[in-house]
Amino acid sequence: MGFLSTAVGWFLGLGSSLIVMIVLILLGLVFRVGWQKAVRGGITTGVGLAGLFLVVNVIIGALQPAVAEMATRFGLAKTIVDVNWADAGIAWGWPGVAGLIVSILVVNILMLVLRLTKTLWTDVWSYWHGSALAGFVWALTGGNVFLGILAGVLYLVAGSLMSDMTAKKYQEFNDMPGIGVPCGTTVQASLFAMPVVWLLDRIPGLKDWDASPEGIKNRFGLVGEPGVLGFILGAIIGIFAYGTGTGDLGITKILGLGMNVAVMMMILPRMVSIIAEGIVPITMSIVQYMRERFKGREIYVAVDCAVLLGHPAVMASSVILFPLLVLVAAIMPGVQMLPIASLAVVPFWAGAVVPYTKGNVVKTVIVLLLYAIPFMYFSTLTVDAHTEAFKMMGQYGDQIGQGLKLGSWDMGGDILGFFIQKLFGLFG
Amino acid sequence: MGKLIVVACGAGINTSTMAEDSIKERVAQEGFSDVEVKRILMADIDGFLGRTDLIMVVSMMKIFRTFNVPVFQGMPFLIGSKQEKDELLDKIVEVIKKV
Repeated sequence: MGFLSTAVGWFLGLGSSLIVMIVLILLGLVFRVGWQKAVRGGITTGVGLAGLFLVVNVIIGALQPAVAEMATRFGLAKTIVDVNWADAGIAWGWPGVAGLIVSILVVNILMLVLRLTKTLWTDVWSYWHGSALAGFVWALTGGNVFLGILAGVLYLVAGSLMSDMTAKKYQEFNDMPGIGVPCGTTVQASLFAMPVVWLLDRIPGLKDWDASPEGIKNRFGLVGEPGVLGFILGAIIGIFAYGTGTGDLGITKILGLGMNVAVMMMILPRMVSIIAEGIVPITMSIVQYMRERFKGREIYVAVDCAVLLGHPAVMASSVILFPLLVLVAAIMPGVQMLPIASLAVVPFWAGAVVPYTKGNVVKTVIVLLLYAIPFMYFSTLTVDAHTEAFKMMGQYGDQIGQGLKLGSWDMGGDILGFFIQKLFGLFG
Repeated sequence: MGKLIVVACGAGINTSTMAEDSIKERVAQEGFSDVEVKRILMADIDGFLGRTDLIMVVSMMKIFRTFNVPVFQGMPFLIGSKQEKDELLDKIVEVIKKV
């Protein structure tokens, strides 16, 4: 026993990049992707994870002093730093990730065999939503890996049931027979949209109100560029934090913050993409294997929510939503995080809503403005477990010790995830 | 001159990587040395449409416009069986050979 706990302790002490490298190489060998692809995949994902944490470090260094300065100047209690997809770092780096991947695969196969779901969840990448939540619960329960995995599986099972309810609509609207999208906060947006759109369709005047997606794209398309959006938001926060400073009235600091936020907006998704790249061989191997096993049955094969982004109304709605959402989060009392990095999830939500609004921009905007409100509050309410998860993984310990708090909409503000966290908090 | 294939998806995170991997593997098998497979965001596609070496677009989303090069919908790379994947790759190889 002594040897075992020493070995486990040594393994966990390697840090998340090396852990995920070893875990993915082993999983690659188990799922027979070939040892070359397994090694390459493991190292790639490890690199992506390390890169992700580097970028987050840059943004913490830039944003934390700025939000603190805003707080002292205006008493604005918006001090949580938004790191959004840094949660993918928790998802792939927390100690239970391998257990979660294997568990959800087994549970999914059982559910398919028992005909409890039609969703074949082979897209290993999109397990990350459940795995991030699992990481929060792991932190919440003082390091209980088993409860973490249980919470993650529960969340992903709910995801496959929601995918069953939405798959037909996604398939028709996007011309993609056979797909399903069980992704976290995206598929929940569809469920939310169903009753709201029904209601909007019964309000005279609103029913037929629309805006041309192409016109919006041509006029405001620039704001949809992550770098540009980041620069603008960073500079605006900079004005509140450093405007009228000494010397050049704070202009150096304002522009500097704009650039740093632009860096985050462009580089964070790239890092996430490197993490995903390493997982691809495992996904492809599982897809092939499972397709053979479930031949001749109606099945929705799970794919990433990115496939929903095709319609022009998606980006048009998003560029309108970006400033509105920041404004709403700024004035809502009790909301302690200004969304910046989290805005990146908005197009995915829009992709899940446009099949229900039939591409109507106005209705999509209204649905998502309402949908975002719980995210604003839940991301504030879950911030302690969220921050603790980063700390327990050995990230940003010093800054967290000095009061840094890290939050996100996707997954920190997740509606279903919030209630699962509350449930498992009872065991903590 | 080289031949450029762009694989476009919505986020550039996950889905296009799967298509890129499959196409690259086949391109190597066929022994094409002048084919470049590039993963891009659909939002960035206009920058590539003007390139004279562009021979094909593989899209991982539904496309609501037309292009002056052949377009393939890459969904079989994500969800297809081996046979469906190979059929699509055959079509892609055919286009590469014709250009």
